[in-house]
Amino acid sequence: MELKTTREGTNLIVDMEGRVDGTNAMDFQSALEGAIQQSDQGVIMDMGQLQYISSAGLRVILLVAKSLQKQNAKLLGCALSESVREIFAISGFDKIVPVHDSRADALKALED
Amino acid sequence: MSNGLALTLENRPEELERLTAAVETLAEQDNWPAALTFKVNLVLEELVLNVINYAYEESGHHVDVSLVCNEEDLVIEITDQGIPFDPLHDAPAPDMESPMEERSIGGLGVYLVRSMTSDMQYRREEGKNCLTVAVPTEG
Repeated sequence: MELKTTREGTNLIVDMEGRVDGTNAMDFQSALEGAIQQSDQGVIMDMGQLQYISSAGLRVILLVAKSLQKQNAKLLGCALSESVREIFAISGFDKIVPVHDSRADALKALED
Repeated sequence: MSNGLALTLENRPEELERLTAAVETLAEQDNWPAALTFKVNLVLEELVLNVINYAYEESGHHVDVSLVCNEEDLVIEITDQGIPFDPLHDAPAPDMESPMEERSIGGLGVYLVRSMTSDMQYRREEGKNCLTVAVPTEG
């Protein structure tokens, strides 16, 4: 699993690549939490290159979504593969982390 | 189609990497669609990590994993000698609807497995947990 982060104004964009599973979910959590700043208004997880995620990875996303909510920031997902989208739908995660087709759509949603 | 795979894993979480590598090799050999590889990896991870993390109190134990490829489904069997645990009845019901701040993650892994399998059967036999699940090859 690799995370690359970039900033657009007060939004953090996180490119997720590879696999998030039970062996590296803790690394994913510390990398994601380490990249988020108190001043962030929105965090977009770009999952275009994410091959795989299990409940261990979903757990981290839920924890991060909860802590972002406390700082009045939003967590969004974009560019999910069909399989990841299915996992989000089955688990009801698409109700707590809104998903968008593209990064541009997600950024636009944060502006609205 | 190849016959499948059979592996004995130690009860250490790092063993998941060996299991994933074996699945990826099989998937390549048999030309599985990406969605099927994803499902098989997910089903195996959720069930095997449950055993590795909870079935035994100490290290040095094992979990046996087998996968048999059929035309219409892949049949996975997971066997361990740990404490009795029937995921069909003993896993907590997942929380799918609560607002984010109240949402908990317990039971989600088994719920994902149930949604990706066409059949799931548990039996306790000769001091072993035997779990058999079938992953449909289509859809």
